[in-house]
Amino acid sequence: MSLYMYLLVAAIIFTIGAYGVMTQRNGIKILMCIELLLNASNLNLVAFSSFSGNATGQVFTLFSIAIAAAEAGIGFAILVALFRVRDTINLDNINILRW
Amino acid sequence: MNVILLAPEILLTLLGLLVVLLGLVSKNKNFIGYISAAGLFAALILLLGIKGQGTFFYEALSVDPLSQIFKIIFVVVSLLAVIASISYFKDNRNQDEYHSLILFATVGMMVAASANDLVALFVGFELASMATYVLAGFEKKNPASLEAALKYFLIGSVSSALMLFGMSLVYGLAGSTNIPVIIEVFQANPLMATSSLGVVAMVFLIAGFGFKMALVPFHMWAPDTYEGAPSVVSAMLAAGSKKMGFVAAFKVLVLALVALRMDMQVTFAVLAVITMTYGNIVAISQTSIKRMLAYSSIAQAGYIALAFVVTTQLSIAGGILLALGHALMKGGAFIAVALVGHMVLLDNKNAKNIDHIENFAGLGKRAPITAFSILVFFLALAGIPPSAGFIGKFVLFYSITIEAVSQASGWLLLVVIIAILNSALSIYYYARVIRYMYVLPANGVKIHEPAPYVLALVLAVIGTILIGVYPEPFIRMALDAASVLGVR
Repeated sequence: MSLYMYLLVAAIIFTIGAYGVMTQRNGIKILMCIELLLNASNLNLVAFSSFSGNATGQVFTLFSIAIAAAEAGIGFAILVALFRVRDTINLDNINILRW
Repeated sequence: MNVILLAPEILLTLLGLLVVLLGLVSKNKNFIGYISAAGLFAALILLLGIKGQGTFFYEALSVDPLSQIFKIIFVVVSLLAVIASISYFKDNRNQDEYHSLILFATVGMMVAASANDLVALFVGFELASMATYVLAGFEKKNPASLEAALKYFLIGSVSSALMLFGMSLVYGLAGSTNIPVIIEVFQANPLMATSSLGVVAMVFLIAGFGFKMALVPFHMWAPDTYEGAPSVVSAMLAAGSKKMGFVAAFKVLVLALVALRMDMQVTFAVLAVITMTYGNIVAISQTSIKRMLAYSSIAQAGYIALAFVVTTQLSIAGGILLALGHALMKGGAFIAVALVGHMVLLDNKNAKNIDHIENFAGLGKRAPITAFSILVFFLALAGIPPSAGFIGKFVLFYSITIEAVSQASGWLLLVVIIAILNSALSIYYYARVIRYMYVLPANGVKIHEPAPYVLALVLAVIGTILIGVYPEPFIRMALDAASVLGVR
């Protein structure tokens, strides 16, 4: 398979993620879409790395996977704290701050 | 490899761990604020004292004048925020975690400032972002604070995903994550950077950094987050973490623009002009002071972004000076708002909208030091001499005027005129608050201003005025820093 196929798959995943972030109103679903965005980048990095025979991209991917895990942890913690106070994680109802 | 050059980062990392441990074993945690303030002060002394340059960890980090001046900004902002937090979070049982998060956020920003490699840049960015997501939601019983944290988190993590995607494309094109190597490869193959993949990568990077810098149209999170977050954390976000976006943009975008002679002048001019005009116009109609400060901070980001338009040594130096001044002015202003909030809560424990402009009525009588510092910060933000805000704007606008004259380009001159008109416009909403403080009658008694707040305010006022009356050493530092980028 050529490099382009991998990049195409990554681009499709990225687009799905971006679409989801813009249209979904549920906090958890948005978090899932953010994971898609990050993993599309990881796929890119690994594909480039393996086709150019240079390991830096794979190392970068390990870093970014670890960071994505930490980010998801913080995201869920914020959502749980919000749910305790407001009883909802639907973004349409989270609107105290506006002008 | 001379590890002494990284001593400030090492000190702050160890201190962050120590602070959590101390929190575990001690009952009364009020002393922890003093320890982290002392540590940040020591880090500042180290930063000012250590001379030298070098690269570390297989050229992942580089210590140079550019990174050092931004590290000084970050440490000063965190120091002010930590000093004010001694009062703000007094008797809070989670103080240890708060202070350790502030220290880790500072370390993250410092790593991002030193980054010489996309991996280090991303890790530094994320360390600072994740610590500040938690800090924004630190008042976990307060729905506004949590909402601020959620919005900041969602938009922040989308922006880091965009940045990572841009980085992955850059890596694919250049075959390396080391920034100087990438620039070399691009210089050797100019077609690569102007290929469609190169342009897409550039757009993703600008979007990723633009979210952190809160440039319009990537600014939506900033007003909500600054309003909802605890005031001392807003100080840290507006004054510190925003500058992280700028240092990353200086490192990656300016290097790329200069090396490739890419024609992005118009893009950045449009971004900067829209950002400053939008920020100033929306700030006029705000009744919440924190929200007004957030929009004024968007406007300031617009001014700083003018540095990318011409990318001469002088304009970058102007951008850095304005970033330094803005850190002191905006950090100080948010801390003053925190003090006003403290005053309002003394009057009425269940007060809502504590940063409403009505609460500033007669502040000159109720809390004279706070009112005077707000006066200084607001006049400085409006760009009135002698202040840090004036010097920064002067150098920046002057550099663009020179460039406009030498290129004989009318639209660059127009950009400068719009920027100056914007500064004039901003005086209106700053003066309105000053009128509330000094002209309108007070509706309460004089209060006792807690010493830590006063210390933070006095330090920020001294810094703001010092840069204004004695700017030479700061301008020289900024010029040194700009020369690292190899600009004209």
